[in-house]
Amino acid sequence: MTEPRPEAVLHTASADPARSALDPWPGEVTWRPVSARLVGLELTRIAISTAVMLAVCAVLWFLTGSWWAVSAGVVVLAFTVVRGVVGVRAARSYGYAERERDLLVRHGRMVRHLSIVPYARMQFVDVVAGPLERAFGLATVQLHTAAAASDATIPGLEPAEAARLRDRLAALGEDAGEGL
Amino acid sequence: MLGRQRLHPLSPVLKSVRTLFLVVAAVSWRGLQNLGADRYALVLLGLLVLVLLYSAVAWRFTGYEVVGRELRIHEGVLFRRTRAVPLERLQSIEVVQPVLARPARLAELKLDVAGAGKAEAPLAFLPLAEADALRTRLLALASRTAAPAAETAAPEAARPEEPDLYRVDNNDVVVSQFLTPPVMFTPLAVLYIVGQLAFNSDFGVFAVASMVTAVAGTIGAPVMRILNFWNFRIGRAAQERLRIRHGLLETRSQVVGAQRIQSLAVTWPLLWRGKGWLRVTLAVAGQNAVSADGQQSRAETDRLLPVATVDTARAIIPLALPGLDITALRLSPVPDQARWLAPLRRRVLAAGLTEHAFATVDGLLTRQLTVVPYARIQSVRVTEGPWQRRLGLATVYVDVAGSTPAAAAHRPLAEAFTWADELTTRARAARALAV
Repeated sequence: MTEPRPEAVLHTASADPARSALDPWPGEVTWRPVSARLVGLELTRIAISTAVMLAVCAVLWFLTGSWWAVSAGVVVLAFTVVRGVVGVRAARSYGYAERERDLLVRHGRMVRHLSIVPYARMQFVDVVAGPLERAFGLATVQLHTAAAASDATIPGLEPAEAARLRDRLAALGEDAGEGL
Repeated sequence: MLGRQRLHPLSPVLKSVRTLFLVVAAVSWRGLQNLGADRYALVLLGLLVLVLLYSAVAWRFTGYEVVGRELRIHEGVLFRRTRAVPLERLQSIEVVQPVLARPARLAELKLDVAGAGKAEAPLAFLPLAEADALRTRLLALASRTAAPAAETAAPEAARPEEPDLYRVDNNDVVVSQFLTPPVMFTPLAVLYIVGQLAFNSDFGVFAVASMVTAVAGTIGAPVMRILNFWNFRIGRAAQERLRIRHGLLETRSQVVGAQRIQSLAVTWPLLWRGKGWLRVTLAVAGQNAVSADGQQSRAETDRLLPVATVDTARAIIPLALPGLDITALRLSPVPDQARWLAPLRRRVLAAGLTEHAFATVDGLLTRQLTVVPYARIQSVRVTEGPWQRRLGLATVYVDVAGSTPAAAAHRPLAEAFTWADELTTRARAARALAV
């Protein structure tokens, strides 16, 4: 704790645009994008929730005739636009890279996340596909380690790619596997 | 080796008494009011007989055996279940003696297995000596990969117990628990109640009763801790394992191997600073979980030292994580830009990669040092919030099993990624060494 303070180098986004949580090692890692249909899936999800909320507002307006219900509907619409923009950007930001010994997963635009999960630490791999995801022909691969906080979820994968990734991860995990 | 073993024949009695307490607590006063004392007693007696019968039947089907490197536990009346616990996955074993079991010299054996949401299959109850012997045997079997000497179990059990390396002073435990916010504010609450009683005639009996209950509730936790941490002793068990024993009413004795310790946290609560005290907690995978019925969840079993001075901690911590000196960690503070995000915490925040472990310091009032040995790192994350991005900062998280991640907040971006890279490299190297 007696170490001198590190010199204050200001890394603003403009000064060092290449380096961020979305691409920490420029040029060293080849990132794979997820399917472009994830954007459609995300928009559909938002549309469904908006439709439900609008329906609730409509019913309330129908029953009470109150203008509050109408203004609530307007708020829902405005909120939907924001969610749409954030959702699309977030969906596009997903990427993963299989390095020699670990899997990298990145996502997020507002808050950027990067996860590094060594294959040796993998406890099990899940491939999940909900009804909506299946309609879009997509699946989600989740990696689990012994730590509950580990976050390595890759949504929006083609089923074939999801299966390939799962098999590869399982095989790599076996090679490098050990207890805790 | 010995075939299937039964639990002690008194176990159904003890277990049903335990269940009965829960039932009494559930129906308690309402039931007594509605039924009248005689019928209430009759109902209780009937319940006791039923529970006793069920426990006796359950006991007949419960048993355990050690097969190869597996512990098999048979249980269940309608749905028979045989659970096989691979011993190499064993994280730690605890021998617990509840108050009721102490006169009969019986004990419960709790196995912590990684990944289990709760303590896996407690074996309740065994004679204390047998529980100790079984623990020694299981631990010897668990580590047979390292040392193929299979016959160590018998001499180990016969060997006289090693003396304790350290005892925590009971007075310190009591004083430390009184120096906690709930206890410090209790006199105020009591004064308030008395004041209301004296000067406010509208103040009803029920309001007083509920307030008294509330005060009892807040004092309850520190008192439970005092009972739990009473007679806290740390010693060595076979093969460099730690043996931690404590408890006044319910005694616990835990044996955990150093390689099973996932992370270590040193906490300096605000109210303890005057005394220069701290506490040290260990994270062991599968341990700090709630047990099946939720009753034991209040007993904290994660302490290495419930209360200690820095000097004591420096002497004891190396037993858990060899080579770790908490006063000689070389950590670096956060850069000046962090003042916008953490104006006060900035002075406290620090993190660094030491020789064997990743360490972070956080917390303005309750300061906490978290240490994760490289070999125990599960995964590494870097996040960059919108404000952090403007300032060129990022937060590095190191995920560990059985505990919250260690977070190094507001590091310079370049440093964060260098660390992330370095951490994964060092973790790999440390793992390779450990195997």
